[in-house]
Amino acid sequence: MMASLSDVENSITTSTLPYSYAPLPNGEQPAGNDRPVHSSRKTALFLVSVFLAVASLVALFAGNGPVLPKNLNTSAVPSTAGMPEKVAPLSRGVEKGVSEKSFHPLLGADNSFPWSNNMLDWQRTAFHFQPKKNWMNDPNGPVFYNGWYHLFYQYHPDAPVWGKIVWGHAVSKDLINWRHLPIAMETDEWYDEQGVWTGSATILPNGELVVLYTGSTNESVQVQNLAYPADPSDPLLIKWVKYPGNPVLVPPPGIDNKDFRDPTTAWKTPEGKWRITIGSKINKTGISLVYDTEDFKTFELLDGLLHAVPGTGMWECVDFYPISKQGENGLDTSVDGPGVKHVVKASMDDDRNDYYAIGTYDAYKGKWTPDNPTLDVGIGLRYDYGIYYASKTFYDQNKQRRVLWSWIKETDTEASDIKKGWASLMGVPRTIVLDKKTQSNIIQWPVEEINLLRTNLTVFKNVVVESGSLVPLNLPSASQLDIVAEFEVDKKTVERLNGADIAYDCAKNGGAAQRGALGPFGFSVLAHEGLAEHTPVYFYVAKGVDGNLQTFFCADQSRSSNANDVDKSIYGSIVPVLKGEKLAMRILVDHSIVESFAQEGRTCITSRVYPTKAINNNAQLFLFNNATATKVTASVNVWQMNSAHV
Amino acid sequence: MKLFSLLIFLSLHLFEAPLTAMGDRKLIESTCKATPSYNLCLSTLLSNPKSSSGDVSDLGLIMVGATRVKATQAIQHIKSLYRSHPELRRSLNQCAQMYMAVVKADVPSAIQALDGGQPKFAEDGMADTAVEAQACERSFSDGGHKSPVTVMNKGVENIANVARAIIRMLL
Repeated sequence: MMASLSDVENSITTSTLPYSYAPLPNGEQPAGNDRPVHSSRKTALFLVSVFLAVASLVALFAGNGPVLPKNLNTSAVPSTAGMPEKVAPLSRGVEKGVSEKSFHPLLGADNSFPWSNNMLDWQRTAFHFQPKKNWMNDPNGPVFYNGWYHLFYQYHPDAPVWGKIVWGHAVSKDLINWRHLPIAMETDEWYDEQGVWTGSATILPNGELVVLYTGSTNESVQVQNLAYPADPSDPLLIKWVKYPGNPVLVPPPGIDNKDFRDPTTAWKTPEGKWRITIGSKINKTGISLVYDTEDFKTFELLDGLLHAVPGTGMWECVDFYPISKQGENGLDTSVDGPGVKHVVKASMDDDRNDYYAIGTYDAYKGKWTPDNPTLDVGIGLRYDYGIYYASKTFYDQNKQRRVLWSWIKETDTEASDIKKGWASLMGVPRTIVLDKKTQSNIIQWPVEEINLLRTNLTVFKNVVVESGSLVPLNLPSASQLDIVAEFEVDKKTVERLNGADIAYDCAKNGGAAQRGALGPFGFSVLAHEGLAEHTPVYFYVAKGVDGNLQTFFCADQSRSSNANDVDKSIYGSIVPVLKGEKLAMRILVDHSIVESFAQEGRTCITSRVYPTKAINNNAQLFLFNNATATKVTASVNVWQMNSAHV
Repeated sequence: MKLFSLLIFLSLHLFEAPLTAMGDRKLIESTCKATPSYNLCLSTLLSNPKSSSGDVSDLGLIMVGATRVKATQAIQHIKSLYRSHPELRRSLNQCAQMYMAVVKADVPSAIQALDGGQPKFAEDGMADTAVEAQACERSFSDGGHKSPVTVMNKGVENIANVARAIIRMLL
């Protein structure tokens, strides 16, 4: 049943009594939780301190200059000939002070099973945020305050699976190296006894910091609570105080007790009040409620909604922020005016993806309208076409940019997560700006600080990859890489080619092995020498009957691992390529996470990869061209990436 | 007149119970119709008295509980095979780890998620349960043996998929 916006808005009424809403559809639940297991099979590695700097490794390879690929393969079929000479890097275990001897494969490790400690240890990342152990999900309250970047996060201290959640906390000077701090907020009040859930930070004009977060009460009602630093002059903000008058918001009439969570950062209204939005749903219509406040303690529910989209289901982790039409900087959340558009973003509970739309905000009505209703929130563009959820931005006043954090879950089994003792990562933080060329999407790009980890550049210039061939790229190591590349297809071939109806879909068209006239071509990352395991990240160009080209950008996990208990989906989307633009790709490889960016961040794909063979010394990087009709010329810069303190 | 009113009052209340039960029976039936195993769903729910007064979230909890029972039984069965089939110990060991993950992590997480109103984590828990059951089954063929627990694994997979389908309705 499609509800109109006014139908939906009319069903929510304000009330003065905090608990006077319609009878709960959900009855009382038995609180019968089993105690989750403590991480039982710690390996020696978890007793060793987290990643040491790889200064010694850098020194080892400082002598290498740019290297041409040793085996320029021009045969007609994909070939596995010729192993590039490899200088064996130290395994990561040694960097952490564990003897090389512990990395000999277990008996019978020719077949991938069982998951060996070697395979599982390799999965931990070198420069992505993750707690030392157990479970993480949504990023919370990201903020730059008093000289430090703060990141809080949904954390389950007891097991590598979701459970009774608290706020983890870490600080950084550069968004890349982190100092883990004590738990910021525990489940120690009746109003967050079942979980200290997601929330956001707001910096007030006088410099004060306040946090609004969702608590799951002792009766599993979702309420909003106020918290603030116990000592604002402590730059690390270690201790937090919960406002004694909590909760400051309870589900309004017409809203279910369990559909009311994830308050946003506040922004100023024309009347000088603060305004927040909170996602919810009415039947299957995803909505965003709007509240005004002067003190973050008492709130007024606006009559209307910020926005709603039928059929999208519950809107989690709503985010709302301005972007500059002309400028290159980010904007404080309160900025408004003619040079500004506004983004509404929501995490769709239904399909586990983050969607956003660009539109116009009416500050007087508290309403937002999408520029393109066919690309509305929940039915249009996604931040990322792989694994990417519960994301949240903040305005970084330190560098005047808007920075995006996101939760990247595991796509292996829980048994593996228990064995390795942890689950989940944060994606690399990204800046967000409006794409000035298309005006209809945002651009995301890894924060510039990530470039500080680059070392030991290898350049491959104008490599011609013939149709149906594979080029191994000779690198010291291939588990921690920053790859920046440009590709050109043969213009004459494209002109000669007959167009056809384009019906390509990354997920459904067979991945990198399915050959077309003008694609797929790109890289195979985390590749084993015989390609028994590899993860292609590629462009697929298609020429339509009208002669116009469409370009698709995909990441293919179908052959990423010999293990058969990991996700093997193929992700991707169409990517706009404007006249005169070369096809450009950037890939960050960091062990079990691969982040791919096309056209300077127009289309992004995050993948989780769990190889059994293509790990440590055996991980390699290949260029490939599986197109039938064209050669491809590639120019590639590949940096080794140092480890960070994560 | 008073007696008449009393009779009306009493009869209305007498009819209340069966009407409610019928309503919930309808809920159970329509819920189970949306799952991959209608009969398994129906028999599991009807055999639990709580299903007569529950909403969809309660039915989900019942099914998660039933999944836990099946997974716990699987662990017991695996233990008994350990002694009688030493040649299968490698696979049995892996299976035990997989079912421990279900009982110790997936199920408690799913219960917490359904209680608290973040059903997506409950769906993830039941989805993982089905994957663990499939992985257990494959661990035998990976080791070059025939699985002695095919029916057991299928049982867990089926009930987890029913639980998942019910939880999906809450999203």
